[in-house]
Amino acid sequence: MSTSVTAGEPGTSSAEPSRPGGGAAAGRRLAGSPALRVIGRRLLITIPVLWGVTFLTFLVLNALPGDAATALLGANATPAEIRAETIKLHLNESIWVRYWDWLVGLLHGNLGTSLYYNQPVTSILGQRIPVTLELVVYALVITFVISVPLAILSARKPRGAVDRTSMVFSMASLSVAPYVLALLLILVFAVNLQWFPALASGTGGDIRDLTLPAITLAIPLIGFYVRFLRADLLEQMSEEYTVTALAKGLSRWKVLSRHALRNSFIGLITVIGLNLATLIGATVIVEQIFGLSGIGYELLRAINNRDVPLVEGIVLVFATIVVLANLATDLTYDALDPRIRHGRSRS
Amino acid sequence: MAVPVADALSPAPPAGDVAAPGRRSRTRGLLRTPEITIPAAVLLLLLFFCFVWPHIYPVPPPTGGSILDSGLPMWSPGHIFGTDNVGNDIMSRILYGGQVSFEVAAAVQAIGLVIGGALGVIAGYFGGPVDSVLMRVLDVFIAFPSLVLILAIVDSLGQSELNVIYALAAFSIPAFARVSRAATLRLRDQPFVVAARLSSVKSWRIISGHLVPNMMPQLLTFSLLGAAVVIILEGALDFLGYGIPDPAPSWGKMIANGQTMLSVRPSLVIVPSIFLFVTVICLNLLGDGLRARWEVR
Repeated sequence: MSTSVTAGEPGTSSAEPSRPGGGAAAGRRLAGSPALRVIGRRLLITIPVLWGVTFLTFLVLNALPGDAATALLGANATPAEIRAETIKLHLNESIWVRYWDWLVGLLHGNLGTSLYYNQPVTSILGQRIPVTLELVVYALVITFVISVPLAILSARKPRGAVDRTSMVFSMASLSVAPYVLALLLILVFAVNLQWFPALASGTGGDIRDLTLPAITLAIPLIGFYVRFLRADLLEQMSEEYTVTALAKGLSRWKVLSRHALRNSFIGLITVIGLNLATLIGATVIVEQIFGLSGIGYELLRAINNRDVPLVEGIVLVFATIVVLANLATDLTYDALDPRIRHGRSRS
Repeated sequence: MAVPVADALSPAPPAGDVAAPGRRSRTRGLLRTPEITIPAAVLLLLLFFCFVWPHIYPVPPPTGGSILDSGLPMWSPGHIFGTDNVGNDIMSRILYGGQVSFEVAAAVQAIGLVIGGALGVIAGYFGGPVDSVLMRVLDVFIAFPSLVLILAIVDSLGQSELNVIYALAAFSIPAFARVSRAATLRLRDQPFVVAARLSSVKSWRIISGHLVPNMMPQLLTFSLLGAAVVIILEGALDFLGYGIPDPAPSWGKMIANGQTMLSVRPSLVIVPSIFLFVTVICLNLLGDGLRARWEVR
């Protein structure tokens, strides 16, 4: 946080009015630099990680008691029926053969057929992913709309009334369990005030259905981001460039929102990338409570049904998102902060 | 002859004098920080009520209540928080459920601290292929949706408190390994470690005598913050029906069971939620307070 901040700063602040142009320039710089090679190398590293995830899933599911045949036929099936179903679903083959078949299918872009629904996994994913995606995007939008102004207001007068209130709020929001929050929201907004439905009505996608789940996901994130952004903004306010801007007569508010915020976004983006895994994990519970038929809800059902191809497909989607988000985070970090791009270490 | 004796003796008393008030003022300073003392006191109080109180004061059993007593409201005689819909005393279920939460959190973090901490130090100190293999494995665990593995472990081993602990430890171990590896990388090239290495101190002595004591504050604050997460996750497992097996109480299960009666008797959800919230926020505040005090990241 110490080296050559002032040298980099005037450039960024003067480029501010033409933000799209700045982005394009950054893109050009990225393409012309060894960054592409870095991206390639990073992408290659993700392949063994993703392979490990799929393999681990297969092993874990295989270790579970029961299989899809029993789950499909229910408790009243005769052993002969189960035997026939097992052969039909190719569950009698060894785990290595089944994993190899699945892996070969994956390389051809085929995620297999769901044992339970008897539909291609890709088409099930195609129905479920949009619901979860909408939920996560909605939650992130709420998070930003609230946490960025709140952090700036807190940083404007540290230890002032706004700051203290928002610190208490963020500590509380970080400590509340998502399921408790969900039930409280249902109790207040669905049972008592009846503003929003407690359970999703249709297949999802209705913004009214998604509001309470999205708030449930957003509140802990808001707490986290307000704390993070406030700390980072205060750190920026002791840097020389902000002191200069203050000395020129800009108000503290303007310095915070125009100068300091731009630099704090670098840190914020990394944090979002790291948080994405937790956020996706939380969707499983939130979808379960609100009855949203998203990918997390489907995951639980698929595990119960021992539907190996479907679980594999969903886990692969989750893992890919997390891995790619981490990768994109690192790369944005590089693109936004010239000090990192030029190989100088950042303390 | 007298001179060396005096020389040898004279530095000793002042050194003792300096050390003693230093240590005393340090503990006194710790006790004077309300950010640390208040959450610590609340946590101790909760621990006392959950683990000691049932032994010194007769509490109705948490299970096997009479159906005739079911659904008593708050502040009923003999049942401060009332009873649930099968007649168990809610106060007693809170106390015994709290035991489960604290035991699971402590066990999971202890396993993570010992195994994960050791793996991280080894990877960070020795580097090379050990490090890269271990880091890839940790990447797999971090990219893996945590609930899948937890559900799978609990499902295949069978539901019990011990298996819930194993399942949650599968996530505390990689987390601790990451933290201790990063701390090791920071410490490894510090002058005092290099000096020890140059004076041919054995690797395991450098690790146990120099690295581990220096990263302990960081690992301890991390384990407090992590314990908060573990308590929440344990409740989530109960919520999904994979937690502590049935007659035994736990806070998460009480909340989950109260869900069906939410509009009729919200207190069934709210009372355990308050205990869960207070415990988690105290763990977070204590972790934050110690982190600020020990100046670790």
